[in-house]
Amino acid sequence: MTDLLIEPFRLPYMQRALLEVLLLGVLAGAVGVFVVLRRLAFVSDALTHTVFPGVVIAHLLDRSLLLGALAFGVLTAVLLTAIGANRRVGADATLAILLTSFFSLGVVLVSRTSTYTADLTVFLFGRVLAVDRADLLQTLALAAVVLGTLWALRKELVLRAFDPDGAAAMGYRTALLDLVLNLLIALVVVAAVKAVGTVLVVALIVVPAAAARLVADRVATTTVLSCLLGALGGWVGLAVSYVVSVDHGVRLAAGATIVVVLVVLFALAAAAAPVRRRLTARAAPR
Amino acid sequence: MAAEPAAQAAAPVLELRHVAVAYDRVPAVEDVDGVVTAGQSVALIGPNGAGKSTLIRAVLGLVPVVRGSVTVLGRPPAAARRQVAYVPQADTLDAEFPVSALQAVLMGRYPRVGFVRRPGAADRQAAEEALAAVGLVERASARFGTLSGGQRQRVLLARAIAQEPRLLLLDEPFTGVDALSQELLLAALRRLRSAGAAVVMATHDLGLAHLACDEVCLLNRHQIGFGPIGTTLTPERLRATYGNQALELRGDAVIVARP
Repeated sequence: MTDLLIEPFRLPYMQRALLEVLLLGVLAGAVGVFVVLRRLAFVSDALTHTVFPGVVIAHLLDRSLLLGALAFGVLTAVLLTAIGANRRVGADATLAILLTSFFSLGVVLVSRTSTYTADLTVFLFGRVLAVDRADLLQTLALAAVVLGTLWALRKELVLRAFDPDGAAAMGYRTALLDLVLNLLIALVVVAAVKAVGTVLVVALIVVPAAAARLVADRVATTTVLSCLLGALGGWVGLAVSYVVSVDHGVRLAAGATIVVVLVVLFALAAAAAPVRRRLTARAAPR
Repeated sequence: MAAEPAAQAAAPVLELRHVAVAYDRVPAVEDVDGVVTAGQSVALIGPNGAGKSTLIRAVLGLVPVVRGSVTVLGRPPAAARRQVAYVPQADTLDAEFPVSALQAVLMGRYPRVGFVRRPGAADRQAAEEALAAVGLVERASARFGTLSGGQRQRVLLARAIAQEPRLLLLDEPFTGVDALSQELLLAALRRLRSAGAAVVMATHDLGLAHLACDEVCLLNRHQIGFGPIGTTLTPERLRATYGNQALELRGDAVIVARP
């Protein structure tokens, strides 16, 4: 077991990759709880596709990928809230329109480059083993902003997720809270672009939170569990992809392996949930 | 909650002056006119789509008033929200949501607690007392969704009590509620009123309106009557409110056939 979980991380680039996925696991795990509670998985999926042209444009202009992704993440969050408020269009149609149009824009832009397929693969699936010190610091800064905001607004975000009318009646501006959550999701996507790419981030956000949701029945415990599962999935996935690639000569993409491990964790949680429910039912007074 | 001085007790908590509310420029309810004073309880009665929920949303300041005025404690509704508590129908909320009964009640304290900070000992105590007032202390740590429909409705009333409101708005609080929960809800509402809170509730149930309220507002897109329940709730007005859904039995008792 130590061979699998410790040994691969003797190399500096593997250590950086590990730190990056641990950070992302905790970050995406925390935001994911609100995504799952609000049933916004499709919103996160849309966001992962809409930041794509931002990444491409930044690459073409030789600017920071983070800034490009951030600009489009913010733009999407604002458009989502604004267009989604029109009841004739509705949130789901708005999402589909934004997802496909932005993603197409990204593909059109990237298809103009000579290294089309290689570039596309990097943007879509990331390159966690190429994460450098600057990337790590960037992820750390984004994690601080996102987790700080979540902490500051945790009560209000939970109330809004539980009872939107009740929250509005208490005087909370629910549209503003929704915009903040959309922005936080966008920031997570931005933080994860370099390491796992725009397509797989959604798994990092949704899968650990959905798994935690199956076995925990308080928001606080769900959040802690979701963060732990996210980090664990990152760690194990990275280790498995390294060991299989290096020791067995079968090349496994790190990002995708992480997602597969997360889904296995979800399956375990789904199997454990009925057992747990039976235990608590027996422990309860009635 | 401190007892109100006698002079203030008669002061209007809610003033509706020829109120019209519209959704997307289509009027939902018009010509509502009446006053609710401290300690009073008003039943909003009318068929589905009569505008009861819309009127409640207008009093909360969540939908714009297109004509007339709504005044809560002498202020526009949006400025008075801290003094107003709203009790939604329990079955509109996600039964799988991971909060305990006590946590749901504690949410009523959030506006006082403010952003960032966590609820303090005083908030916790207020929430526990509110839960006790609806007879659910022993279920405090049960997940909200595992409670019965009636118990969930009591939790939501407890949340409103924890807000220490001077005006309480309830949307169909007795729908799908068992007999015990109904008794406990009625008792808690009586205590709130004797402490000086005014109550407005939308309901389908005329029998419960008689038990819980002393005033009635009959609505069907416009106001058909507003006044003391004994004199306002006449068979003629009920027919005007419900149209052919109203049925008369033995002269005065009236059953309303639901669609």
